[in-house]
Amino acid sequence: MHPQHEFQNHLTRRTFIGQSARGVGGLALGSMLFPELLAAGTKTREGGLGGIPHFAPKAKRVLCLFQSGGLSHVDLFDNKPALHEFAGKDLPPSIKGTQRLTGMTSGQKGYPVRPPLVDGKACGKHGTWISNLLPHIQTIADDICIIKTLNTEAINHDPAITFMNTGNQQPGYASMGAWASYGLGTENANLPAFIAMVSQGTGKNPGQPVFSRLWGSGFLPSNHQGVGLRPGANPVLYLQNPPTVDGAQRRELLDDLATLNEERARELGDPETITRIKAYEMAFRMQTSVPELADISQESKATLDAYGPEVTRPGSYAANCLLARRLLERDVRFVQLFHRGWDQHVALSRQLPNQCHDIDQPTAALIKDLKARGLLEDTLVIFATEFGRTAFTQGGFGNPASGRDHHGRCFSVFLAGGGIKPGFEYGVTDDFAYNIAKDGVHLRDLHATILHCMGIDHERFTYKFRGLNVKLTGVEEAHVVKGVLA
Amino acid sequence: MHRPLQLALFFSLNAVVSVQAETIQFNRDIRPILSENCFSCHGSDEKARKAKLRLDLSDEATREHKNGTPIVAGDLKKSVVWERINSTDEDEVMPPPKSHLKLTPSDKAKVKAWIEQGAKYEEHWAFVAPKRPALPTGNKLPAIDYWATQKLIEAGLKPSPEADRYTLIRRVTLDLTGLPPTATEVEAFVQDKQPDAYGRLVDRLLANPHYGERMGLDWLDAARYSDTNGFSIDGGRHLWLWRDWVIQAFNDNKPYDRFISEQIAGDLMPDTDDGKLIATGFQRNNMNTHEGGTIPAENLVNYNADRVKTLGESVLGLTLACAQCHDHKFDPISQKDYYRIFAFFNTLDDRAADGNAGVNSLPSALRKTVLKTDELPALLARIAALNQRLQDPDPKVLAQWERTQQQREADRKLGLKLIPVKLLKISTPNSGGGFTVEGNQFKGITKTAFDILGETPQTEAPIAGLRFVFPDTLAAPKPTKGAKAAKAAKAEPIAAKPMDEFAGRFVLTAVDVTADKVAGDQVNIHRLQKFSHITADAWIEDYPAKDVRAFNVLNQGWSPPAGTGTHHLTVTFATPITAKDQPYLTTQIYFGNKMGGAPSEGELFAFTGHDDGTDLPEFVLRILATKPAERSGEQQQALWAYCAKHSDEMKGVRTDLANAQERAKSLTEPQSTMVMNLSAKPRETFILNRGDYSQPTVKVEAGTPSKLPALPAGTPANRLGLAQWLVMKENPLTARVAVNRVWKLLFGTGIVTTASDFGFQGQWPSHPELLDTLSVDFVESGWNLKGLIKQIVTSSTYRQTSRTSAEVLEKDPANRLLSRGPRFRLQAELIRDQALQAGGLLVPQLGGPSVNPYSPFDLWREVSHYGSSPATSQVFVQDHGDKLYRRSMYTYWKRTAPPANMVTFDAPNREVCTISRSNTTTPLQALVTLNDVQFVEAARGFAQRIIHQSTDDTARLRWAFLEAVSRPPSDKEQAVILKALARERARYTADKERAVKVLTPGESTRDSTIPASEHAAWMQVATLILNLSETVTRN
Repeated sequence: MHPQHEFQNHLTRRTFIGQSARGVGGLALGSMLFPELLAAGTKTREGGLGGIPHFAPKAKRVLCLFQSGGLSHVDLFDNKPALHEFAGKDLPPSIKGTQRLTGMTSGQKGYPVRPPLVDGKACGKHGTWISNLLPHIQTIADDICIIKTLNTEAINHDPAITFMNTGNQQPGYASMGAWASYGLGTENANLPAFIAMVSQGTGKNPGQPVFSRLWGSGFLPSNHQGVGLRPGANPVLYLQNPPTVDGAQRRELLDDLATLNEERARELGDPETITRIKAYEMAFRMQTSVPELADISQESKATLDAYGPEVTRPGSYAANCLLARRLLERDVRFVQLFHRGWDQHVALSRQLPNQCHDIDQPTAALIKDLKARGLLEDTLVIFATEFGRTAFTQGGFGNPASGRDHHGRCFSVFLAGGGIKPGFEYGVTDDFAYNIAKDGVHLRDLHATILHCMGIDHERFTYKFRGLNVKLTGVEEAHVVKGVLA
Repeated sequence: MHRPLQLALFFSLNAVVSVQAETIQFNRDIRPILSENCFSCHGSDEKARKAKLRLDLSDEATREHKNGTPIVAGDLKKSVVWERINSTDEDEVMPPPKSHLKLTPSDKAKVKAWIEQGAKYEEHWAFVAPKRPALPTGNKLPAIDYWATQKLIEAGLKPSPEADRYTLIRRVTLDLTGLPPTATEVEAFVQDKQPDAYGRLVDRLLANPHYGERMGLDWLDAARYSDTNGFSIDGGRHLWLWRDWVIQAFNDNKPYDRFISEQIAGDLMPDTDDGKLIATGFQRNNMNTHEGGTIPAENLVNYNADRVKTLGESVLGLTLACAQCHDHKFDPISQKDYYRIFAFFNTLDDRAADGNAGVNSLPSALRKTVLKTDELPALLARIAALNQRLQDPDPKVLAQWERTQQQREADRKLGLKLIPVKLLKISTPNSGGGFTVEGNQFKGITKTAFDILGETPQTEAPIAGLRFVFPDTLAAPKPTKGAKAAKAAKAEPIAAKPMDEFAGRFVLTAVDVTADKVAGDQVNIHRLQKFSHITADAWIEDYPAKDVRAFNVLNQGWSPPAGTGTHHLTVTFATPITAKDQPYLTTQIYFGNKMGGAPSEGELFAFTGHDDGTDLPEFVLRILATKPAERSGEQQQALWAYCAKHSDEMKGVRTDLANAQERAKSLTEPQSTMVMNLSAKPRETFILNRGDYSQPTVKVEAGTPSKLPALPAGTPANRLGLAQWLVMKENPLTARVAVNRVWKLLFGTGIVTTASDFGFQGQWPSHPELLDTLSVDFVESGWNLKGLIKQIVTSSTYRQTSRTSAEVLEKDPANRLLSRGPRFRLQAELIRDQALQAGGLLVPQLGGPSVNPYSPFDLWREVSHYGSSPATSQVFVQDHGDKLYRRSMYTYWKRTAPPANMVTFDAPNREVCTISRSNTTTPLQALVTLNDVQFVEAARGFAQRIIHQSTDDTARLRWAFLEAVSRPPSDKEQAVILKALARERARYTADKERAVKVLTPGESTRDSTIPASEHAAWMQVATLILNLSETVTRN
């Protein structure tokens, strides 16, 4: 962390505390230190930077449904007649061009074009083509905006997924959610500002690895890193009290602790201790608020049915989708799901339907659910992946063991909700969904657009690190994609 | 004049009054303003330069340009810079609005005063070798205190009084060893009235072996030390010999110039030896990958770029990495300079994709540790004693074990009914086909993981477990790719039997089962069925059924003998299942072993009743069938031998023995470690356009940045030359950066707050004279680190109390003026270590391989490539015994899933060089110290020690406070805690069962002579004390 920022953080803390520490003597400790306890029900932001948002945000919350491994835009969203016409024939050299391939296909003898695995249909008023592998997502075509020309320089998982999530291919940078937490703080003091959940895909298990850096804080203060949410007794690690210690007993211990800490803090003139007392209180509240949010027993049958049978399988994508809605309802700033297994180098025909089945119904249900509850209008939904897949086959054409390689030159993601033009497609790829024909969107542009929806000008949202004013969008120019905005 | 400008000038004039009172110093006052606001367009980066104007060089800034002269010394009106920064025209004003940069009124006032005073430039302070400023004659203060006091006087402040003895010993002990003083040490120091008591304390601490750990911990962050490769699959590596070297180097007080140069070029030194070679692991700590499909040239550039970055930030205090893609935006480091440094490391004979299957990426070497310890005799004695315990029959244990076995034998086969499982689906991650299910058969199995989904059979009795039957249709195993790789990597410490000696058919590495309401194609890692037993009808030596899922040793698992017909494996669930509650069954079978083949096909059965299998071999069964009285002595001895080797009852002893043996091995036998070397055919280095590996431009030779001194005369332009250059007297950075980092360790913040950036964007030192004095002293002392540390910690400045007042807080909020003793939260590792010490659990062993203490969940498998890769460290296997209680710097650091309880306290993931950790306060931290089993167990241990101190509660409490926060409790604290104690006593006396249960966490055993209620009550008090804010703070 840059010392100047650290200094400022200290100042902020000390200012808050300086004030309360001075007044502590005469007043009841509880009301002095935990005003939000008294003001339960009223929503106030905690943390974040002054001056941010820069302008009125369209989205107060962000939901990122990250499909890890490289979702095939060719099969699912970007169908082209030429893919069928050229089926089995080599991709024309003019299309293939000189762009680099991974070591897995760069030595391949031929590059036969492979049409989408199954048919699709034009959906919604806009007539968006969506694969029949995603029948439920077909029904939300009018709610989403597909970007077909997203592109990245990275062609391998590690750099690509790191780029997508942190704005840089190399490790050491802050993730999107950490940026959001840093800039905007939290609206719910009982839950972390950034929550991440990982599920395993059933198409390919294990899928490509994921890394804690994808939800890490990088150079930002580490309290902005994403907090994992898992099924089981400890939805948040270490949440559960030791055996037989119940809430009442813990409460008594924390009261003693606060008394001792407060007494000593006054004696030493140590404002940090007051911050720590507050942190213990929030931990205590989390022990109630987290299990409560993780408990889906009060969800209606209709809701559970909408998300599909997997919703009752702890740790599944469907279960995580339902949790995501519960988190967003509680104003968690940034919720991110990572679903693994989208890396169909082999056995595309076996693996892809499974992957699609994992996510199709829950994704559609979640967006409908958010809409029905009035949350979609101020929640930005990002359905993303680190790159697409090649129009040509990896392995022999027609071989059931074949698949598709990574493809970063153009691929599809979709956005929905706060600030986004619904029922729309942006950008056009060439006849083979291999190159950008019109309106390319670089990852940086996507990042700029995400921040824009949150009311943040990406150029003015910086953190001093290594002497540089570092931005999520990096050092090169980035543009908000105005065409996708409502 | 425009009105806004008038206003601006008025305000700035106001400010100028105070600024002009003192002379403007370019380095302190002006360079930061120019660097932040101007240099990115008017600095050293040629490509980014606008209007051909440089403001970083005096000659350039003061010569006439097309639109006038930017800066005219002494003449504000003629200085175009002044005009432009005050312009109200959006197109004219500098910096341009688009940059989002803005000069403050105070910035402008400084610039104004500077121009008026003659616009004198200075060389950047950090690029000029330090000189020791003279102290005024008659000064009696040591340099540190003199310079610190000067600043305080200027600010109208006074130094704070010395901290009390309690605080002092806690502060200095934590700073120098990373552990708090014991109660005994505290009392002894407080009672030591000799004037040299503190000095003796410091000497004792500097001689303590934990000193090397404390200093080493800081260096591990800088060096990005980790136990895994980092990128992509993030498999395991072995580099702990380097960590041993670091600890030993600090303990030996190896001069810092040697410390650095051996790590940079130990392999090239004329007197190179094992230690020097191990030391070069420093620049092998970078991340690497073996991801398929990556582009070799790209990887190699990334690896090397990380080496340059780390060298810059950890040794030179330069953000060299900023010049990879273009000339540095702020500092005078060109892109060419960058690639000249890059070239020093580009001669390494490393591979682009390497380091799979737990085999170190090349170059690696087998060496013995340099760690000096005197524990070997005791260790060998312990091994002998433990062996003896396994040797000597323990009739009580044997009887108990035999009872269990006899019971299982009696139950065996009772009501056994095998029911075929109707299989629905089968999948595997990396293969397209050739596998299928039919009825209860699965076919086409190869050497990887397969997930098989089936329907739970409808049965009358609950289903007790599953049986996998493998018919003997397998040809003799052929050596596989993995086995070849294992053979090729002979240098590696993998205890694998050669293929040709392997008598098994295949090795089943792991079985996992999920029983669920919904059909899952794959097992659910959040709901893995627990097994009470795993048995098989046959196995070869060293591959028993119970070793299925024994991931801690490579190549373990179950293997039936080849060529002996059909064999089966049976798992019994800890909790039976039913088709009603769990209609679907998913099993994963994993043949991840290098040995043997795969069974190609098999059948799956569920069973009710009792397994008819056993994990006991024939000869044991025969003995058990014989009445004890009728057994021969030999039989009885054989039975004991088996019990000792396999029983749960003796597991603790076996764990202790294995740990001790591993420890002995790590001290005496050669181990693999990653090192530097010179390639026979070194890669050429080119300037890469935009840092892109695929766009090489001009070829460059190794060399140092042009702005800094050249390589010393006569030194080679290789790493050896670089090493000598780093530590030569003329190098203005190395000593300052080291001194500053030591200062930061002791004061929480460096004299230069940007400890990794001494460039133009770095912060001006709070006490430049002090930094230079210490740096010159340091070099003249022969780079004596312990000497430097002693100089600092014996200063009055260090010994000030951290108690403070509102007034001081206001004038010196961040303690940049050193108006008081520094106070900060302990770093992650220290918090856990302290709890372990309080709990009497800490195993103070130095060095050695990393360990896996408790983890709340398999956080590795959640993110890893488990089941699909021969890479190690894909599944978390917790250690036992001593390994649960080692110091936290030895906790296994998996980069993609670093230890959760450490990360919560701001520990970095060690992917990249970290010079400054965050220091946050979060609720998750409270959850760790309150609920993590490691801390809960420590509280229980602490309670036990407290109880043993005395029979008097007040005396106990006094000791507990001395032990945890190094001071006795106040009357009020005592009252609060005794009240809490009374409450908890009442609670647990009334509910003894609750007391017993609360004492259960953790694998260490408690002293059962202490009544549970009493122990539990004190455990709550211990929890309270270990969670005091003061306990995690260093005052």
